Amino acid sequence: MKTTIEEKNGDLVASFEGRLDTAASVQTAKDIEPLNACNGQDIILDCTLLEYISSSGLRLFLTVLKNVKAKGGKVFVKGLNNELKSVFAMTGFINLFEFKE
Amino acid sequence: MFNVQCLTLQNDVQQVPQLAQFVDEVCEAAGLDTATAMKLNLAVEEAVVNVMNYAYPPGTVGNVSIKAEVHDNQLEFTITDSGIPFDPTSQQEADTTLSAEERPIGGLGIHLVRTIMDSISYERIDGNNTLRLIKTIKN
Repeated sequence: MKTTIEEKNGDLVASFEGRLDTAASVQTAKDIEPLNACNGQDIILDCTLLEYISSSGLRLFLTVLKNVKAKGGKVFVKGLNNELKSVFAMTGFINLFEFKE
Repeated sequence: MFNVQCLTLQNDVQQVPQLAQFVDEVCEAAGLDTATAMKLNLAVEEAVVNVMNYAYPPGTVGNVSIKAEVHDNQLEFTITDSGIPFDPTSQQEADTTLSAEERPIGGLGIHLVRTIMDSISYERIDGNNTLRLIKTIKN
């Protein structure tokens, strides 16, 4: 599981590559710390190369969303494949985030 | 046709990748498509991680066994541990209609298991927690 964060056009983009299962989420929680420290910027969670996510990964996304919204920013989720979209639908997360293709 | 595979792990979430490999092998042997295999991976991971996190006192090493059986048109995962009595089916599920601000951080795991599997049952037998997850599959 590889996480990279970069700034693009004033937004913070976090790209996730691989399987975000419970084991991987321990490290990913540390890797996404810069997102929780941002100041009102919009965040893009780029999931184009994300193959799998379980509840611990969803929990990380939710924490980012809560932190960013509290600072007046938005969180966009980008590039979810169909299987991941169904996981977001099952958990109601499809209604919590905004999506980009 | 009866087909059984077993795996035993310790209560260490870093062993989840071994569980994923096991579930993938079971699903491939059962001829399932990738979308179904992914959902089963998710349900089994959520159930097993609950055991890893809650069945044994912190600092104790304990086992969790996963048995996979295919019979008729059903795939059944039986998850067994010898930890404290813990019935995940009695845990409160997440309310998926709440907004982001209202959503608590936990409660998703059992919700996913219930949504994905066709039936779930729990029994406490001889000092063991036994959780059975069943998915109807097409042959």
